[in-house]
Amino acid sequence: MQNRVKKNGSRVGIIDLNSGNLLSIKTAVEKVDCDLKVIQKPDPELLKTIDVLVMPGQGRFAYVMNQIDALGWREFLLEWCRNGKRLVGICVGMQVLFEGSEEDPEAVGLGLFEGRCQKLPHPKTPMVGWAKLNSYKLTLKDGFAYFVNSYAVYDSPFCTAKVTYGHEFCAAVQRGNLYGFQFHPEKSGNFGKELIKYVCQ
Amino acid sequence: MYVNSPDSTSDLTARVIPCLDVAYGRVVKGTNFKQLLDMGDPVELAQMYEQQGADELIFLDIKASVDKQQSALDMVYQVATHLSIPFAVGGGIKTLDDVHLFFHAGADKVTLNTMAVEKPELIDQISSQYGSQSIVVAIDVNHEADGELAIYTHGGSKRVDVDYQQWVNEVVDRGAGEILLTAMHKDGTGSGFDTDLLAQFGADFPVQVIASGGAKGPQDFLDAIKAGADAVLAAGLFHRGEYTVGQIKEFLIENNIKIRK
Repeated sequence: MQNRVKKNGSRVGIIDLNSGNLLSIKTAVEKVDCDLKVIQKPDPELLKTIDVLVMPGQGRFAYVMNQIDALGWREFLLEWCRNGKRLVGICVGMQVLFEGSEEDPEAVGLGLFEGRCQKLPHPKTPMVGWAKLNSYKLTLKDGFAYFVNSYAVYDSPFCTAKVTYGHEFCAAVQRGNLYGFQFHPEKSGNFGKELIKYVCQ
Repeated sequence: MYVNSPDSTSDLTARVIPCLDVAYGRVVKGTNFKQLLDMGDPVELAQMYEQQGADELIFLDIKASVDKQQSALDMVYQVATHLSIPFAVGGGIKTLDDVHLFFHAGADKVTLNTMAVEKPELIDQISSQYGSQSIVVAIDVNHEADGELAIYTHGGSKRVDVDYQQWVNEVVDRGAGEILLTAMHKDGTGSGFDTDLLAQFGADFPVQVIASGGAKGPQDFLDAIKAGADAVLAAGLFHRGEYTVGQIKEFLIENNIKIRK
């Protein structure tokens, strides 16, 4: 029998939607000692071979949703969540967990959370930079996170941290094993590292 | 916008950004145009500034060696895989292909100076392909003896026939996400950032402005942010070890500025 290098963490799959560079998130996941696989297409086997799916997204809401549909992820992700498996959406990858967005009103989100994204009413958009999370759930420690977004979900019963930029919005959401981060944990210094460790291990 | 107050509508913090000059994949200090002093390994220095609390880093390849040298791209890749804060890269970017190579290597943003002036449509192209947050336009402005504000390119060596105010508006219209405003008449003087120039950008100005040139101590950073800068950049003061990023931030926090700890 071949000896396989056994790592401490879980088996993490990063969904490649061809939407932005995956280098930072890959590096961040590798640093917390998780087994890492980049996945282009859904496959029922993943339910057995992967513990955590991470879905980063950059660009327009409609573009990310189109990629999800074109590559066949929509049904798979819904099935994944019905099985209680962990899914982590980052930036637009969090936004598509909701029903839709003002950015592209015709695009249909995954609807795993109720609600829609709205434009941040601030003269300087996108919001680019660091903000302190106002967190009222124990699962998310207070910390500074790095944001790059023009749209956000203003409110949700599953909001775990809030930030204000022209309007208060959900910086993070969580329902069971379903997590969403509007900011970029892979760019958020030590706080981000801890968070990635928390959701990946 | 960055002063703590109960009726504030933004949690965004003002950023402190060390700038590193690089050549051939090393951090350098130019003593004159020909002699470059090796200051160390970009990854080690970047990690040191990250630990000190830098919010972001900017790397400027002063030899503009991207088209002929793999070294700049290797450096970007090494930095990207060792850093967990965002960073921008500039110098030697001439085409959209160069931009793609830098983003592919892991840069979060690119900085344009000379090419922004010579080929302004590049700003539009980068902005529409990668988003406005990915492009910083560096404007080098000099207060001439006759009182005029002149724009320079080629690392501050060539004056160009561009109106300052029009140029500021144009880069915004073309889709720049940030303006890195270097007041050349302040650079290296230690007399503080040009707060008059910064004050001309109001709270409604649609993009963030990074102040550069003239910092000597913590008070200069405070003055720049109060005047209207969204971020403050410095090089020598950090590299010479006069202040750590942490010391500057501590002072800003004591003075009620929103700063990431």
